[in-house]
Amino acid sequence: MNYKVSHTTVYHYGETVPICHNEVRLTPRHYGGQTCLSSRLLIKPQPTKIEKRLDYFGNHVSSFTIEEGHQKLSVASVSRVRVEEQAPPDPSAGISWEQLRDQLPGERSPEGLGAYQFTFDSEHAKTLPELAEYAAPSFTPRRSCVEAVLELTHRIHADFAFDPTATNVNTPVVEVLRLRRGVCQDFAHLQIGCLRSLGLAARYVSGYLLTTPPPGQPRLVGADVSHAWLSVYCGAQGWVDFDPTNDQIPSTRHITLAWGRDYADVCPIKGVFVGGGQHHMTVSVDVSPLQTDALRHA
Amino acid sequence: MSLAVRSQGAPHPGEMLRQYRPPPDVYDEMFSAPGEVRPHWQKFVAALEDLGADELKRRWEQARRIIHENGVTYNVFGDPQGMDRPWELDALPLLLPAAEWSALSAGLVQRARLLNLVLADLYGPQRLLQSGHIPPELVFPNPGFLRPSCGYRAPQDVRLHLYAAHLGRAPSGEWCVLADRTQAPSGAGYAVENRIVISRMLPGVFHECQVQRLAPYFLTVRETLKGLAPHHREQPRIVLLCPGLASPTYFEDAYLARYLGYTLVEGGDLTVRDSRVFLKTLGGLIPIDVILRRVNDADCDPLELRGDSLMGAAGLAQAVRAGHVVMANALGSGLLEAPALMAFLPGLARRLLSEDLLLPSVRTWWCGNGEALAYVVDHLDELVIKPTFHHRSVRPVFGRQLSAEARAELIGKIKAHPRDYVAQEHVARSSAPVWTDAGLQPWHVALRMYLAAAGDTYQTMPGALSRVSESVDVVGESLLTGQGSKDVWVLAEGPVTAVSLLHPANAPIGLRRSGNDLPSRVADNLYWFGRHVERADSIARLLRTIVLRLTSESERGGLAELGLLLQALAEQGAPAPESLPQGADKLPASAEHEVLAFIFDESRAGSLRSTLKALHRVATTVRDRISLDSWRTLNRVEQDFPLAYPLQGMQLSEVLSLLNQMILNLSAFSGLGMESMTRGPGWRFLDMGRRLERSLHMISLLRSTLSAVSEDEPPLLEALLEIADSSMTYRNRYLTSLQLPPALDLLMTDDTNPRSIAFQLQALAQHVEHLPRDADQPHLSVEQQIMLSLSTALRLADIGELCHIDHGGHRQQLDRLLGRLAAQLRKLSDSVSHKYLVHAGPARQMADIRPGANA
Repeated sequence: MNYKVSHTTVYHYGETVPICHNEVRLTPRHYGGQTCLSSRLLIKPQPTKIEKRLDYFGNHVSSFTIEEGHQKLSVASVSRVRVEEQAPPDPSAGISWEQLRDQLPGERSPEGLGAYQFTFDSEHAKTLPELAEYAAPSFTPRRSCVEAVLELTHRIHADFAFDPTATNVNTPVVEVLRLRRGVCQDFAHLQIGCLRSLGLAARYVSGYLLTTPPPGQPRLVGADVSHAWLSVYCGAQGWVDFDPTNDQIPSTRHITLAWGRDYADVCPIKGVFVGGGQHHMTVSVDVSPLQTDALRHA
Repeated sequence: MSLAVRSQGAPHPGEMLRQYRPPPDVYDEMFSAPGEVRPHWQKFVAALEDLGADELKRRWEQARRIIHENGVTYNVFGDPQGMDRPWELDALPLLLPAAEWSALSAGLVQRARLLNLVLADLYGPQRLLQSGHIPPELVFPNPGFLRPSCGYRAPQDVRLHLYAAHLGRAPSGEWCVLADRTQAPSGAGYAVENRIVISRMLPGVFHECQVQRLAPYFLTVRETLKGLAPHHREQPRIVLLCPGLASPTYFEDAYLARYLGYTLVEGGDLTVRDSRVFLKTLGGLIPIDVILRRVNDADCDPLELRGDSLMGAAGLAQAVRAGHVVMANALGSGLLEAPALMAFLPGLARRLLSEDLLLPSVRTWWCGNGEALAYVVDHLDELVIKPTFHHRSVRPVFGRQLSAEARAELIGKIKAHPRDYVAQEHVARSSAPVWTDAGLQPWHVALRMYLAAAGDTYQTMPGALSRVSESVDVVGESLLTGQGSKDVWVLAEGPVTAVSLLHPANAPIGLRRSGNDLPSRVADNLYWFGRHVERADSIARLLRTIVLRLTSESERGGLAELGLLLQALAEQGAPAPESLPQGADKLPASAEHEVLAFIFDESRAGSLRSTLKALHRVATTVRDRISLDSWRTLNRVEQDFPLAYPLQGMQLSEVLSLLNQMILNLSAFSGLGMESMTRGPGWRFLDMGRRLERSLHMISLLRSTLSAVSEDEPPLLEALLEIADSSMTYRNRYLTSLQLPPALDLLMTDDTNPRSIAFQLQALAQHVEHLPRDADQPHLSVEQQIMLSLSTALRLADIGELCHIDHGGHRQQLDRLLGRLAAQLRKLSDSVSHKYLVHAGPARQMADIRPGANA
């Protein structure tokens, strides 16, 4: 599938902002079945320069400074992305979760270390006895890692209500666990915390969902806005994505922007500004299938 | 050498040393056995004996006074409100023989080279993780591991430019490293301060002992930092970035900045544009090439690092990556402060340097290793337990001090999360004599030694900061622990050549005049400093005149002028005027009480004490801008003030002499300022603050006393002239006849009287002319317009008309003119602040975009 992704964020300020510094992660990654065909940023007021780099986790980062006074800042990203269907992992096969847990600390290969680093606490996804306890029923002895994580994903989806009013961006996972409600970000952090509490490696994925579902299929929760899910290291099966908000293993309807230890590593737009008074923002996201012909002329 | 016992007069130094008893189970720095002084101390002891006890005591008292006057403080609680703890320096230095120091230095140079290589690897290819030389558990969850710094190519591959090590000497006599400080090591400035005090106190002894100088080390620091500059290599602009006033090391930051000749800046002074760092100054933005940082890693950039920190500047990390500015030390160097890493250094030395580690670390066990865990659990009593990652707020735990219950609890915690704990051997540090009121006491010594990168190796400061503590249990890792410090003398093998930082090398120095590169924040602080100095002076003068009249009240029948003066005081927020009936024969008894409260009660708005407090606070912010002598004078103003209120039996006459002394000190300060401050923009802003405040006070004083006519005015005029220090001039001009017109002329319109309003306006007009501004601007600036209107209004004023009394008994014209002047002066203050001083508010974070929830 080929998609066109548009993500526009507009900040409105009550007073003039003389200067602001920004760092955005709005360019989709290249990896596995996903190819970023093109991506551009449209920023108003226009910065003199946009610096691009790859961050520690290999995400595309663009940073820029707006040096002219402004009361409105708009950051739009338009990308074309190809997502090819990958064979889904076989839940019944593969390494058991205990074996994986015991192997990870001994990993010394670059790939193994790359996975092991995601077993440690991060600001928004810490290991906690409560989380280990919540996850335990799914992690029965010698169960395959993929199967156990899939069941945990299923349970989170069943136990937790989607409710944007219950939490905010700083609500700790332990509070989400108590409330049994939250949004995709909360569920992703919660599940990552569960898996790390068991000694497994899990990372946070920031991205998008197809806005209008194919005919006959339900619209997924989290379309229209940026979405978040997680990816789990499953040994030889590699990194497998799980979406607790929609109770599924993402296939061709998820588009990955960036990944990191948690939200703080991959926040789509970060900024520091001076002045501005009262401010608010609006976000719009649209992901639509792209005709191959249209792509050719793009 | 055995000490001769002499027994005349005060205890002789020799006698004191004879009575000194080092504790049995530690190494003593001075004595190899009771009565046996170690060879490298003998010259020192002999010189001390020649000096004699009384002389030593006298000099030490003088030295302590210097410390006090220089205001050397270590702000332990990070509280700018005055919790500063004075720096406790011991009279006796610690001596190290040349050979011993060389061995230590060689070990530390090797260690610094090693740590620098470890940093290069962990922020680069991470081969040490793949080879197993460093456990990944010490890197990935390490809060000091800054991912944005990975892949940064440091100039000359140096990330560790400045390094400090804490050392302790075990009973065996061997030194070992207790802790590494790799991000922004503090304390070198205190070492210099200690050296200055002690070498001045014992110049002869210092000379005789052939002590190595500290200055060459700082020359290296300067050379190294200069060599880092990516641009302007001939004259790079280097700043010292400090966390600000609230930081415990603010004194040292300011001191070092001055010593090294760098501009002291705070995060808010810097701005990043197009990946370049600039200093915000009065004259505009000035590019910065090198930043010597005293701010912790994570606080340097609110955009990429800790978002809630206000100590750094947004975009700094990107500017560093882009190579337009170099930070010393590189961002992320704090990674190496984790004590657990010490356990792996011997292996790392062999791997990276093919050398054995020359200087051992304190024996360290990281519990993440199974064998180490078993050892720690078995030997808990001999060990000190710490969190794996250095944490300021977590104190180390001594195994042997734990109750059985606490012990079991700790073992449980360690076993549950072994990776999070590290254990270290407790080193019973060596002792050295410390001069206390109870004679010489053996206190325990910790050294902090300093190294700076020099080419492809490091140079060690020939000296150190020594912390001493009464208890052996103080681990001595932090400058906060311990009760005192010692100067450390590294003895030379031959004669020592003097080097001064003020005359480096032979290269001619390009002449410079201070220009408009003054940071806006500093100008702002100097301006308010000027205002506060003048406010304190004006209030003290008014109070003195009032107290003078209160003490001699019996001589006078009428107290009309006293009532008016109290009313003038009331305008400053003093007692409510209705409680002081005008013209009453007898003042209420509470008047005296009220005046005292206005002098001493800090909680009273506008009181002298609260003004002095505010003055002290703002003075601290400009400490690196005013001369040492000025600072001493200012310190004296504060010290002369009794601490407790309400006062215990203080007489009004004592209060009077107190006020006299304070006015004298403030005058001394002003005189020094006039004499020794260069007439750059800094001085202009300070003086502008003073002139503005002085004119506002004079206006307020005249308005509240002269707007309405009072019965008997000559005594009032006398008081006003006295407050304005102008009685003498009046008498010389007009003999004794006290009349309003000549008095008013002297206080308002006579521009030759330094206390008149006209004089202040003239000075202000000159400052305004010199404010930096766009040269192409053809019109008068707003400030110039205000000044023009102010001086015109005053110059056109007719004294005769101002003295005119209407039928209501009011001098309306005088009142109106004074009101207008005050309003215009306030407008000037606002305009100057807005244009030059307050460049921008604090940085704020953009609202988070929350995935899955439409905002």
